[in-house]
Amino acid sequence: MAFQSRNKFCFFKENGINEIDYKDVKLLRRFVNDQGKIMPRRVTGTSAKMHRKLVRAIKRSRSIALMPYVEKGTD
Amino acid sequence: MSFYETLYIVDPNLENKSLEKTMNEIGKELEKTKSKIINHRVWGKKRLAYSIERQKYGSYILIQFEGGDQQKMIEYDTWMRLNNSVLRHMTVLLNDKPEIYVEEKKPELESEEKNLKESSDNEQLSDQVDTSDSDNNEENEPDDEKTTELKEAE
Repeated sequence: MAFQSRNKFCFFKENGINEIDYKDVKLLRRFVNDQGKIMPRRVTGTSAKMHRKLVRAIKRSRSIALMPYVEKGTD
Repeated sequence: MSFYETLYIVDPNLENKSLEKTMNEIGKELEKTKSKIINHRVWGKKRLAYSIERQKYGSYILIQFEGGDQQKMIEYDTWMRLNNSVLRHMTVLLNDKPEIYVEEKKPELESEEKNLKESSDNEQLSDQVDTSDSDNNEENEPDDEKTTELKEAE
C-alpha cells in the first residue's frame, strides 16, 4: 500500500485558474503547511508554471501581513 | 499605460472621519503622480498574520490606478513609507485593467438586516402578545381602582 501512488493533478489547471491573486488567502492557505511553509511541488502536484505564480502570490501576501512568515505551534 | 494597485494597512482604531481624512490625503498624494485613480475603497478590518507596530488588527484599504509619472511614483512610495498612519503598504503591477468596483454586497447585507429585523419584529410581536395578555390583566385592576377612586370622590 505504501508504494501506491496517489493521482497528482494541478489544482489550478483542473479549475481553470490562470492568475493567482495574493489577496485570496483562502486559496493560498491550501498550499502552505501548518507552519506556514510553502509546500513543495512534488507534494501538491501543481504545474511548474502555476507553482511559480503561487510562490509569488504567497510571498506577496506574507509581506502585507495577510499570511504568516512563520506560524507558531501553540498560541 | 500600465495599471497598478496599492494595498495599505491603517490603524484599525481610527474613526470614520479620520479614516476618510487619511484616505483623502493618500489619494491626493497619488494624484500628484498624474495617475488616475480607478478604485479607492476599504477592503475591511482584518486580523494581521503577525503584529505590526504592536497592532494585531488592521484596516486594509485598496487603491487601483492607472500609472502616471514613474519618477514621481518613487516619491509616492517613499511618502507612503514615511507616513505614520500607514502601517504597511505594497504596490503591485496588474495584468489587466481593473474593473470599477461597485458595492454589490450592501443590498445583500441590507436584505439580511431586513430578515433580522423581520425576525426581531416577529419576536416583538410575540412579546406584544405576551404583554397584551398581561395588559388585559392589568386593565381589570385599574378599573377597580377607578371605581374605588370614584367612590371616594362621591
